[in-house]
Amino acid sequence: MQLVDRLGELPRSPVTIELDDIQATVLRYRPEPYYGTHVMLHVDDARAGREFVRRLTPHVDSAAGWWGAGQAWTSIAISYSGLVALGLPQDSLDSFPEAFRVGMAERADRLRDHGLNDPRNWEHPFGTGQIHIGVSVFSDSEDTWRDALQTARQQYEGFAGVTVLMTQDFGAQPGDLNPLGYKDSIGQPAIEGCGVDSLPGQGRPIKAGEFILGYPGEAGVPLPMPRPDALGRNGTYAGLRKYQSRVATFNRFLREHAETEPERELLAAKLVGRWRSGAPLTLAPVDDDPALGADPHRNNDFTYAADPHGRQVPLGSHMRRMNPRDTTMAQLADVNVHRIIRRSTTYGAPYDPAATSERDDEVARGLYFIFLSAKAMATLEFLQQEWVNNGNFMNLGDERDPNIGLQEEGATFTIPRKPVRRRIHGIETFNVLRGGEYFFMPSLSALRWIANSGER
Amino acid sequence: MTTQTETPTTPAPGSTAEEKIQQLRDLFADAPEIGKRALENVLGELTSQVAEPRYRVESAGRVGVRLGNVSELTMIFPFAPGGAKRLRAFLQLLNGNLDGANKVGSLHDMRFVFLDNDTKLLFCTAFDGEWDPYIDDFATKIPDYLDILDCALEGWPGIRSPEAKDYLASHQINAEGWYVAHPDLTVAEITRLKRVGAAADEFLDKVSE
Repeated sequence: MQLVDRLGELPRSPVTIELDDIQATVLRYRPEPYYGTHVMLHVDDARAGREFVRRLTPHVDSAAGWWGAGQAWTSIAISYSGLVALGLPQDSLDSFPEAFRVGMAERADRLRDHGLNDPRNWEHPFGTGQIHIGVSVFSDSEDTWRDALQTARQQYEGFAGVTVLMTQDFGAQPGDLNPLGYKDSIGQPAIEGCGVDSLPGQGRPIKAGEFILGYPGEAGVPLPMPRPDALGRNGTYAGLRKYQSRVATFNRFLREHAETEPERELLAAKLVGRWRSGAPLTLAPVDDDPALGADPHRNNDFTYAADPHGRQVPLGSHMRRMNPRDTTMAQLADVNVHRIIRRSTTYGAPYDPAATSERDDEVARGLYFIFLSAKAMATLEFLQQEWVNNGNFMNLGDERDPNIGLQEEGATFTIPRKPVRRRIHGIETFNVLRGGEYFFMPSLSALRWIANSGER
Repeated sequence: MTTQTETPTTPAPGSTAEEKIQQLRDLFADAPEIGKRALENVLGELTSQVAEPRYRVESAGRVGVRLGNVSELTMIFPFAPGGAKRLRAFLQLLNGNLDGANKVGSLHDMRFVFLDNDTKLLFCTAFDGEWDPYIDDFATKIPDYLDILDCALEGWPGIRSPEAKDYLASHQINAEGWYVAHPDLTVAEITRLKRVGAAADEFLDKVSE
């Protein structure tokens, strides 16, 4: 379903960025329902790799008219080792930021990817440098998904010099729920100049340069961009994090700390800040309101002005950590410079409320979490260090994000209440990191530049 | 400007306490007699401190060292022409009181010291965590204060510049020694404990009436 169909009349604003050069994934919201596939490719030969990029590029969609676009789309992103394998000029390679060049696994310390999340525990081929190109297909129907995937496949299958490392289908989940049973991907940042004004609750539009290279960011200047401009402009960075959801650990946690079914659902809502239906606790503090959760006009339309202490949405809940909105934080921070565009994709078995065994934790089921930003590496490091694996900014000491944080022995989760807070001891890691990569997502013209880069 | 130098006599990283003590004794062989005697007097006590530290000194990110949650930052900059006068006048307007820094929320203390006839600035602070993750926030939330202070420095590119982090890091010097009374307490945590303490006192006052 298109965004206009979901939301009806959209608040329009002038287009001031080059939508027809920017890849569709950057702006198109995940469809409802959604189907898709991620394909990870290895380039064995630079010339063949560039030829593949040339062949695929006409099938990569632009963001023009993104709010009304409903058909399937294909995106392409290239890792640093991929840019090397494609034979980009050294001057261009050197112009990428260090965190991108060394890759996500190499930055594990900065990302607090230790213990269970350590790259040593990742699944092959993540973190090995072998993933060169990621191709993703998104669609809102099974038929159009298969057609688009078939078209993409024709560009690499049986094509010497490009090898498929892995293929992962995603989506097609009952009710589009994530692996822990929640409606997800609700709040996205509003972006200045993209043609659509802020949706209810999105806050003011953020400068396009925070998300797309070549435009001024929030500080008023463009962010550093790869050289030459033909390569960097209208591109962005994409991070991918593969999480395995430990559904049984999660279910046991809910059962141990809440006695009745309604209490368990409230606890589940307190961890995230929203009921599983998507209804935010600010607007539905006592009981779930599925109609509210399903209504895109209302389910994100709130501030924390009436909830400064987190008695509705806990200060440490996932939603409030990732976007504190107007919360008064303990450390000076600007929420608008740490936002990311999220294209979260659920894979594997659907959420099973009855799962409680250790074996259930390892049933293939989780998220390929994709995030986009003109400084994706720096933003992920900031989030992982400050807002995910730390609680100081919300006056929560060492507490960590209950959804994606890496919990240490005896970790706690605080639920503010009147007259006294409840502090739950022994929260565990519910989503374990099993892989991750950084990619550059070039503009359409930059893809053509890359395809031709051997001729220079 | 990086001034930490590793002399050949410095123990290699990872050397044992015994090796370090031997190295120290060797270096103290030329020391004045009072120094030699003093070293022998405290070596026993020092050995146990080294063996069982409360916290380990770790890296505070790019540069600087950290004990628990609290990091040190020490920087020396050459002043730009007229920079020392401007900075002093600005600090004097505040009567040398930097209480406004409270709103940053992570600074335990901070000092500006003018060196060598107003040709260099020594800037020191103790703060929570790492500083460079928050530079983007400073660039949008308090850019003017940072530019007023830092335009006194030779080569300051401006807080909004993508070069600002590199500029600052290149002037930072690691402390060779670092002490924090409560390495686990961030500024936010201290504020919270004060509130909890006041509430506990109020409660105790009521039950004891």
